[in-house]
Amino acid sequence: MSALGHYLEQEGIATVAISLVRAQTENVRPPRALWVPFELGRPFGPPSDPGFQTNVVMTALRMLEITSGPSVLRDFPLDDPREAPDLRWRPPRLMTAGARVSEDLATLLECEIPMLESSYKQSVAQRGRTIVGLSGLSINEAGHYVAAWLRGGIPPSPTAEMSAPLVLRFAVDDLKAYYTEAALAGPAKPSSKQIGDWFWDQTAAGDAILNLRKIHLASSDDRLRAIAGLFLVPGIRATPTG
Amino acid sequence: MVRLSDLPSAQAKRYAELECPSFEATPWVTGPPLSERRIAIVSSAGLVVSGEKPFRGRDAEYRVIPSTTRPDRLLLSHISINLDRTGFEEDWNVVFPLDRLNELAADRAIGSVAATHYSFMGATDPGLMESYAREVASRLKGDSVDGVLLSPV
Repeated sequence: MSALGHYLEQEGIATVAISLVRAQTENVRPPRALWVPFELGRPFGPPSDPGFQTNVVMTALRMLEITSGPSVLRDFPLDDPREAPDLRWRPPRLMTAGARVSEDLATLLECEIPMLESSYKQSVAQRGRTIVGLSGLSINEAGHYVAAWLRGGIPPSPTAEMSAPLVLRFAVDDLKAYYTEAALAGPAKPSSKQIGDWFWDQTAAGDAILNLRKIHLASSDDRLRAIAGLFLVPGIRATPTG
Repeated sequence: MVRLSDLPSAQAKRYAELECPSFEATPWVTGPPLSERRIAIVSSAGLVVSGEKPFRGRDAEYRVIPSTTRPDRLLLSHISINLDRTGFEEDWNVVFPLDRLNELAADRAIGSVAATHYSFMGATDPGLMESYAREVASRLKGDSVDGVLLSPV
């Protein structure tokens, strides 16, 4: 991001960068940057809080009016209030959480997806949008595709546009988005940690992705090991061997 | 919560020390008051308008996001698994604050909002993005933009 600031400003356009990783910004020294103390993925702070977001945007944009520079780095003074848990929040109900309908994780995953359909639809109606869709598959197809990987081998790509590993990556992204959007249904405002704890610790989908990582980390195929290590499970949820 | 300090130390170090091109000097462009500026968003979140090709791996090129794009048409295809996506799921302004810019323009706090915004894939080697960034600069100038809000993810 900071490098883009150099390139655009060299071409004559004034820039101000939001910085999430202060050390990187200090290294690259863009013309202007505002470091924000928010988690990765939330450069403008809390969702559904227009006042707070406007404060971040305006604090950054006002730096365009600074007359002495370059390499001005300032710190935004407020933390993201949405990092605190919302104790009213309850995760969507999943029959698989208590009474497992099968010992086979791939089957559990395929059974679990439809159980979230009403929460997901409610959530989409509430927010007017979804970010499910990168794989180009329906969510049930994405689930079947991930399940097929879990059952062993490399299932063929369902599209000529993407390789099988790329479809796997996007199908996993779609599954995570479908589940976490379902978790946003209702009036409560859960923190990302609350949603993450539920997804990775209490759902068959989380289990399935963790297992997929474990299986492919032990693979003799370099490409599969790389995919397993880099693209499936966040660093804070993974152990070195899976 | 995924702050850098929450990641395993080796991963956090990789982020903090990510190799970047070194610049001998930092450019500095001044301009009119904010209330007269035309502002665009340039994001490195791997944003794509639904139906367009998601970013793959570490693609160096960019995607175009017209100001008329609706929230239900914008997807996030960033390669990193370590960033929170639930904020963006709930409210696109967390990553792409177009609604906030439109409000600021209506309030005359900024001059206007660009017709087009742009997104790169932030995990790409910035050196590979240089020619594309200069192309974006040319397009921004064509839209009379004189202020860019650079948004990472």
